[in-house]
Amino acid sequence: MPPRIELPQGTLDLLILRCLANEAQHGWAISERLQQISKDVLRVQQGSLYPALHRLERRGWIAAKWGASENNRRAKFYSLTRKGQKQLEAEREAWEALTTAVAQVLRTA
Amino acid sequence: MLTDLLYRLRSLFRRETVEAELDEELRFHYQRQMEKLMASGLKRDEATRQARVEVGGQEQLKEECRDARGVQLFENSLRDLRYSLRMLRKSPGFTVVAVLTLALGIGANTAIFSVIDSVLLSPLPYPDPARLVTLRQNDSLRNIDDILHQTKTLAHGGGVTIERMDYTGGPEPVQIRAAYVNAGLLETLGIAPMLGRLLSPDEDVKGGPHNMVITHRFWQEFLSGDPNVLGRSLTLNGNRYSVIGVMPASFALPEDETDIFVSLWVAYPEAAPFRGVHFMHTYWRLSPGVTLEQAQADISGIAGRLAQQYPDTEGKRQKTLVPLHQWLVGDIRPALLVLFGAVGLVFLIACANFAGLLTARAVSRRQEFVVRASLGAGRSRLLVQAITESVVLSLLGGAIGLALAKWGTSLLVSLKPAELDRFRGIQMDGRLFAFIFSISLLTGILFGLIPALGATSGNAADALKESGRGNTAGKFSDAFRNGLVATEFALALILLVAAGLMIKGFTRLQSVSPGFNPSDLMTMHLQLPITRYDKIPQQTAFRRELLTHLNGLPGVQAAMVTDLPFGGNYLDHRFAVDGRPPVPVGNEPVVQTLSVMGDYFEVMQIPILAGRGLTEMDRENQPLVAVVSEELVRRFFPNENPLGARVDFARTDEPHQWMTIVGVARDVKHGTLNEPPEATMYAPFAQSDEPWRRWMSLIVRQRGLARSSGLIAEVKQQVWAIDNQIPVSEIRSMEDWMSVSLARQRFNMVLLGLFAGLAMLLAAVGIYGTMAYRVSQRTNEIGIHIALGAQGADVLKLVLGDGAKLALAGIAVGIVGAAAITRVMASLLFEVTPTDPITFVLTTLLLATVALAACYLPARRATRVDPMVALRYE
Repeated sequence: MPPRIELPQGTLDLLILRCLANEAQHGWAISERLQQISKDVLRVQQGSLYPALHRLERRGWIAAKWGASENNRRAKFYSLTRKGQKQLEAEREAWEALTTAVAQVLRTA
Repeated sequence: MLTDLLYRLRSLFRRETVEAELDEELRFHYQRQMEKLMASGLKRDEATRQARVEVGGQEQLKEECRDARGVQLFENSLRDLRYSLRMLRKSPGFTVVAVLTLALGIGANTAIFSVIDSVLLSPLPYPDPARLVTLRQNDSLRNIDDILHQTKTLAHGGGVTIERMDYTGGPEPVQIRAAYVNAGLLETLGIAPMLGRLLSPDEDVKGGPHNMVITHRFWQEFLSGDPNVLGRSLTLNGNRYSVIGVMPASFALPEDETDIFVSLWVAYPEAAPFRGVHFMHTYWRLSPGVTLEQAQADISGIAGRLAQQYPDTEGKRQKTLVPLHQWLVGDIRPALLVLFGAVGLVFLIACANFAGLLTARAVSRRQEFVVRASLGAGRSRLLVQAITESVVLSLLGGAIGLALAKWGTSLLVSLKPAELDRFRGIQMDGRLFAFIFSISLLTGILFGLIPALGATSGNAADALKESGRGNTAGKFSDAFRNGLVATEFALALILLVAAGLMIKGFTRLQSVSPGFNPSDLMTMHLQLPITRYDKIPQQTAFRRELLTHLNGLPGVQAAMVTDLPFGGNYLDHRFAVDGRPPVPVGNEPVVQTLSVMGDYFEVMQIPILAGRGLTEMDRENQPLVAVVSEELVRRFFPNENPLGARVDFARTDEPHQWMTIVGVARDVKHGTLNEPPEATMYAPFAQSDEPWRRWMSLIVRQRGLARSSGLIAEVKQQVWAIDNQIPVSEIRSMEDWMSVSLARQRFNMVLLGLFAGLAMLLAAVGIYGTMAYRVSQRTNEIGIHIALGAQGADVLKLVLGDGAKLALAGIAVGIVGAAAITRVMASLLFEVTPTDPITFVLTTLLLATVALAACYLPARRATRVDPMVALRYE
């Protein structure tokens, strides 16, 4: 099993927004997808995921809607709102600027 | 922001749905996880175990989701609210006193504010009222025409004078009030008629048609709201007038009450052409964009030109423009502002009391706060909770205050001084609710916060050691409370002094002798129609016959005069003394002139100081005579004997008809009691050469029966026996007339008295509360005193001394404050200086007595402390 990494504060929001950028998903699918894409490096606990989802919904960045899941059961699907779209772009830029700068410092200093 | 709020609200109000959804969402996750683990080959119970571990504590997760949804804030507030209500229910005494204190303060404030709002702040009920101005001086129709002709700054202008007209054709002949106007008046005010049209300029001319515009009230009362009233004609002063328009119900002239509007040129052509008859009150509308200063410069220029052209009538006259609103509120403004100040002080006292109550409560709950703080409650949570409680109290106080204010406002209006009468629109509206709500809320937050800050400050461990009723508990709070009580007494003293001055002034005013004996006098107004009484002999015949009949009734004495004292009317004439060097035309002195018939001085009981009064023998074809007042003698005959001197109206047109002074009468107050007496000349109706004085007030003295309707009916019958077309109006006792003239002073006095009483009551409650609290805190100390042999009287002295110190400190500050502040009342006081020492001494004594009485109850309780119980108390 590859090593797990603690997510820095605030990154979870960014990752959730990114996962929802293409399509609406329910909570479980979001955690699965994060795990798959990060090749098991990032594992999100239910205890962090759902409060984060509710917080993002309150801020109006994502919207929730009940729908049928892949195995035809009732599930709560989250999708990105226009506000969320903007927030995602802003956060992604900030994140890239930050990582570039940090990498720069690590390489040269 | 909005989505955030909606989201929180949904979470709060649809809590069950939201919780169920959360459950379902988490269950779905758990099941998918199970499916996944089983698909990867785990046994069912192993999959269950692992999924449980991953999911973790469900309740904690849900709580975190709720937090994320942001319902915490609301839930806390609701919890605080419920807690506050429970706490308040548990101490009903405290709650009732706190709520009532605020309710009284807020109620009184709001009532006065609503009057101030309608009188001082609301615009006048005419379109574009800021452009309406009036001339301080009355003017003549000729001058109005010339001003309108020459002005470059005034868009419209018009004049009005109120006259009485006889309306015959109804069940009884009655007098109605007619506004004699020019066509410009109603146009200037800018209100369109409800039916028909206004008077037009082409009918406002000499010989114009007899048309009239009527008020809504006249239409309803006299014409039963007849929908086909236009074109209907009524007999007024013996002429037929046709109704051409009806004004809306909301319309009233700025100052006068009237029933109808007629053209001055049509209704009173005898007076209309004379430039010197300055009897119209004028209203003007500034042209758009013109300032008052520009208009004043313009009108002063016109006045200067008129003075040059017509020196004999216009030579000395000035024209001063005043904004109409300022003109109307000018008289009552200082009184209302003083009342507002007074009620503001009452409110401050109420707030101080409220804060004092909360402080005592906060101190006694310090333990509770401390325990909760040590169990982990944040200071801000405790503060919010304390404020919630005081806000609940203050809003309750506000609600009750609103009810009080509603009642108080109608009380104010029912006390109505004439000046308030004009403002019918006094009422409460949404803005007042907002006003009350905000002051309640602010009071609650502010006065909840201060004591709570004190109670929650400091170290929890220290506080716990104090064990409840320790001696150092809340030093801050004690000082704060003492300060509050002293402040209350200072403010209450200021109010009491103000009220005392007012009451003293009013009693002074009431005890001013009017110069005659007003008791048992009945008065009524008669006007002789011009159609049959245009000459002096006919008028004299009617008057003489009526008086002869009336004086024949048993126990009745009757006389007549042109204008009654306190009746509101006044007529003066330019005056000349025979043998004195002539005064340039336009500069003659003026004196008030009254015509009388019958033994006026005897009936009014006006003492004759020298010579004789006027009698029935002073009639036509007899030597012309006059009686003059003391003031006239002081002004014109300072070192001479006036008897035998000859006087007359200053005339330019006719030869003098000198009247010989035969008597000097005691001065009579004619306008109001607080004005100096006028120089007055009395002459017999029968010798008058002014046939236009067709009106008279009948004065009937009948011991003990002045108010009886039998007498009134009898007088009416006697009048109508002579001429059944003569209206009898304004049937009032002389005392009524005088009390109307005192209405404004009474209004000020009653209100200030009420506020001062309220202030005193609140201050008494405040000091009572403080002393009761102190006694309960010092039970232990008092117990020691008693154990060491102190007698009841000593303990009483101890506690009373304590209270007296507080009250006296406040009173001392109050005396200084009152001396500084009451000066603003000077204009409202009659013959009392704002620093009247007697008032200061008496009010100080009164307040000190009340303070001692309020301290007495807790002091009595202190004397009954059982030393054994008290010492074991700790």
